[in-house]
Amino acid sequence: MSILQVQNLKARYAQTGDDILKGISFDVAEGDFYAIIGPSGAGKSTLIRCINRLVEPSEGSVSLFGQELTTLSARELRKTRRHIGMIFQEFNLVNRMSVMDNVLSGRLGYVGTTRSLFKLFPRSDIQRALELLDRVGLIDHVDKRADQLSGGQRQRVGIARALMQDPQLLLLDEPTASLDPKISRDVMQLIRDTARDLGIPVLCNIHDVALAKEFCNRILGLQSGRMMFDGKTADLADSDLERIYELEVL
Amino acid sequence: MTHLITLQAELERSRRRRQWVQLLMLALVLVTVLGSVQVIIIEDTDWARVGTFGQIMESVGRFMALDWSLIPHLGIPMLETFLMACLGTILGLFFSLPVAWFGALNVTPSKRILYPFGRFLMTLSRSIHEMVWALIFVAAVGLGALPGILAIAMRSVGFISKITAEAIENIDPKPVEAIRAVGGNNFQVMTYGILPQIKTVVLGTIIFEWDINIRRSAIMGLVGAGGLGLTFFRQMAMYNYGGVTVVILAILSLILLGEILSHYTRKAIV
Repeated sequence: MSILQVQNLKARYAQTGDDILKGISFDVAEGDFYAIIGPSGAGKSTLIRCINRLVEPSEGSVSLFGQELTTLSARELRKTRRHIGMIFQEFNLVNRMSVMDNVLSGRLGYVGTTRSLFKLFPRSDIQRALELLDRVGLIDHVDKRADQLSGGQRQRVGIARALMQDPQLLLLDEPTASLDPKISRDVMQLIRDTARDLGIPVLCNIHDVALAKEFCNRILGLQSGRMMFDGKTADLADSDLERIYELEVL
Repeated sequence: MTHLITLQAELERSRRRRQWVQLLMLALVLVTVLGSVQVIIIEDTDWARVGTFGQIMESVGRFMALDWSLIPHLGIPMLETFLMACLGTILGLFFSLPVAWFGALNVTPSKRILYPFGRFLMTLSRSIHEMVWALIFVAAVGLGALPGILAIAMRSVGFISKITAEAIENIDPKPVEAIRAVGGNNFQVMTYGILPQIKTVVLGTIIFEWDINIRRSAIMGLVGAGGLGLTFFRQMAMYNYGGVTVVILAILSLILLGEILSHYTRKAIV
């Protein structure tokens, strides 16, 4: 069953009017770990941000469980974003806040403004946060400030925060680009196993083709905003990679 | 060879020109200073009233005969001055938040209208002297500490909001993006994404401003806005110069207290 459907998605720079995405279409189905690969500047980050509209697409359609996202009002969009977890390249944690508060901030879409101001999260949320921190192996660091952790640990906080949302879809924007190879694999493994356990499909930007091939079942190849490949990982031939990374070879 | 000679001549000419310009500037400064002294000091002073050296020393001496009997009457005005500074700072912070929000380019609700408006309020607050603010509020709400508190608050807005706005403009946008991505509303973006990042800067600024506000609050009474300034004004009106000096000493000790307190609180938060 298809969970996320993207059709003819286009996006352009506000200033120059140049197209970054030139009509992208793909489907993310249940159980998918979908990789978006491509050279720098291909539009990978823009594509993933168009899904939860951190970047506004200029044309095309994005639908999640049949609900069109591109036309949602600001309020409806916030409600929908609650169900889309996002994990970032540079973790995007609030450095001066504790690990616990960072994880709890994943619930901000659910708790009211006043409650969130005084950090009055329901007990069930705190319990869930502890479970997730245990799951990602940070149960001993709950009270530390986020900037006291190492890169790999910070990304685990980022993962816990995204899972805290009870997401129905996970967006990963280069989750391993700030990490060393060994920790990159650990982090990818953690994400894959958790996503599998919880039944959450994943859409993942990644520039490391080896990692993409190892962890992802489907691959979308992007080059200067155009789709160069879309298919099963097993079907990705070396010639396809050459086409995707053509510009870099030149 | 001829080329080198012309180059050298050119170089010397430009050097000489620079020296002439420097000399001219120096002469200009000298003429301005001497002219000013002539017009506003030598011609404008009523030399007959300045008196002899002995008379000047006598006047100074009158200030030195301290009037200790005033001390029991200083407690309440000192406390009033101190509290005026505290309340004025807190109120100023309260006013500063929306101004900083308007005046920070990356969060302002409208770049066209509210951003320039916020920036204008920052300038307005600082370009009107605290005594002028005090005069305005004494006229508006009458004598007492209230106009002093309002004047200090208005005068504090400029600095606090400007530093806060700049801190907001310098935040790392990444946590903000994350809070938006989890479905947080604008208020939550502010309290979770921005506030933790600017907290120490803002607190430090508030302490600094509070320290300055003790000085401001000490002279508010000169225009009828309460505190030690009022005592000062009364002693002056009674020509009780010894009393004036005691009030000045009281102000000094209060300011010292403020310095010490702000030094330690700033250390504690940073």
